This record gives sequence, C-alpha cells and structure tokens, in this order.
Amino acid sequence: MTRDQISSLRDGALAAVPLLIGIVPWGIVAGVAMVSAGLTKGQAVGMSLIVFAGTAQLAVLPLLIAKAPLWVMYATALVVNLRYVIYSAVLAPYFERLSWAWRALLSYITVDQIFAVFVGKYQPSDADPHKHWYFLGGSLVMWSAWQTASLVGIFAGALIPHEWSLEFAAALSLIAILMPLLFDRAVVCAALAAGGVSLAAAEWPLNVGLLAATAAGVAVGLAVARLSSTNEGRG
Amino acid sequence: MEDWFAWVLIVGLGLGAFLTRAVFVMPGSHLRLPPTAERVLRYAPAAAIMAIIVPELAFTHGALSVSIENPRLVAGLVAFGIAAATRSILLTIAGGMLVLALVRFLAG
Repeated sequence: MTRDQISSLRDGALAAVPLLIGIVPWGIVAGVAMVSAGLTKGQAVGMSLIVFAGTAQLAVLPLLIAKAPLWVMYATALVVNLRYVIYSAVLAPYFERLSWAWRALLSYITVDQIFAVFVGKYQPSDADPHKHWYFLGGSLVMWSAWQTASLVGIFAGALIPHEWSLEFAAALSLIAILMPLLFDRAVVCAALAAGGVSLAAAEWPLNVGLLAATAAGVAVGLAVARLSSTNEGRG
Repeated sequence: MEDWFAWVLIVGLGLGAFLTRAVFVMPGSHLRLPPTAERVLRYAPAAAIMAIIVPELAFTHGALSVSIENPRLVAGLVAFGIAAATRSILLTIAGGMLVLALVRFLAG
C-alpha cells in the first residue's frame, strides 16, 4: 500500500468511529435475537458473517420463530434489502474502474451509514484515485464492530434474564433504522399504509401479511407521489 | 429446526444480501434506474420495516391490544418519538426499554 492509500483508509475508518455508538447495540441485539429464534451458536455466527445485513436478519427472525415457509423469509429479506439496489446504482460509477475482486469486496461490505458518508464526501467524477480505500476503511470499521457485537450477543446473550424482554430491543432498533428512510411525505404515507395493512393481515396464512402490507404501502406511496407532483405542476 | 434448513436459509439470505448490493456495482457500466423503479425501491424497505414493527407493538399474546396498558405499544410510540428527535439507535433502544419496564412496573 502507498502512503496515500493508507491515508485514505485511515480517514474512512475515522469517519466511521462516531457511527459505532449506533451499530454496537444493534449488533448485540441481533446476536441475542438469532440465538433466541432457535439458531445454534455456530449457525448464528455463520449468519452474521455470510448475510451481514442486520435489518434483513431482524426482519426474518420473527418469521423463523413463526415457522414461515422459506420463500416468505427470502421474499421478506429481499424487500428490506431493496434499498441496497439504489446504493448499488449510485456507487457503480465510483467503482467502475476497480478490479472484479475489489467490486465484490466493496459490494459485500456496503452498509447504509458508510454509503451515506461516502456519497456526501465524493463525486463519481472526483480525480482522487483512492476514494475506494476511504470506503473500505469506513466499511471495515463497521464490519468489525458489527461482527464483534453480534458475537457478544450470541455468546453472552444467555446471561441476560428473560424478564428483560431483550427481544423487544430488536423492534426498537428497527424503529431507529426506519427513521432516516422516511425522507418525504410519500414514503411516510407508504409506511403508514403498510403499518395499517399489517394489522389487518397479521393472521393471514404463511405469514404473507408482511409482503401484502409492503405492496399496499408501495402502491399508496406511488399514488401520493403522483398526486403531489400533479399539484406542483398546477401550482 | 433441522440443521440443513438453517444453512439453506442463511446461504440464501447471504446470496440475496450480496446480489442486491452488487447488482449495479459488479457489471460496472452506467446503467440508470428509471424514476418509477427508483421510487418503488425507496418505498418498499420503509413499508416493509413498518409492517414488521406495527404487529410487534400492537399484538400481545396473539390478540390486538390498542391500549395504554399494552407496554409494548406505549414503549414503541415513545421510541418513535425518540428516534424522530434524536436519530440515535442507542437512545431509541435505551428509552424504549426503559418505558417498557416502567409501564410493566406501573401495571403491576
């Protein structure tokens, strides 16, 4: 590594430090939740390393407890992961000159927070040839913190008394994760509609209620976006 | 749960998480998302997360319970307020858990 590469790597890592306060409790909660959903410690460690997508993991675990079919769990995780498709589209021009291995590594390690920091700092056209090192530095800090926190949850979670209802912390962390996604009125309406439908559909077979609620939410969001753009056009 | 089932789940989720993150980065070309597709991709995760949260808060012992005596609902609503005001995962979890304990204590 050249000095410039190390310097970019370090800058990225330092930018991730303030974000640790969010990812550490979330990782511990995910670790506890995986084990209490019935995964063995080995499977939980495997999920943490292989999946590395906290929101999708927390979305699937209640379905695992409810013995939902595999395809419902896959579909639910996919819906939650759709935001990564946006990130991927935004990041593609930044990384297009990198090798196959680099692009695979940076894809695996992409997390919401570093994506936001990175896109705020660099433009795709920036001449800086080391911006991927910055992305890697920040992402590695988040990855390490997430894996360590998950390990703590997996192996020390059993020490926490059941009466504390730590599994409820999983729902609370989803509330915190949801907030930055509610960026305009249409998406707020989409979320409210999905929440309403999820209550009506909670008893539906195979746990497809969540998917139905999501589809209804997206439909409402698109309708609201279309209405408000028509109004702006008139005004 | 069967061991193979857990690993099929884990590997499938891993593939999904990788492919959604790699779908534009790996080809490396200038593919553009149509605006409607981008909207759907932006609304779906928020809608799905909300649809996970709401039943977790509103159902107790399998029955709908919209009342001030439902500790999860009260704690969840307070957590929404904390999350909106602070954007902090730590404060949201800590505040929500505190309210949960408090409501349970008051309800005896």
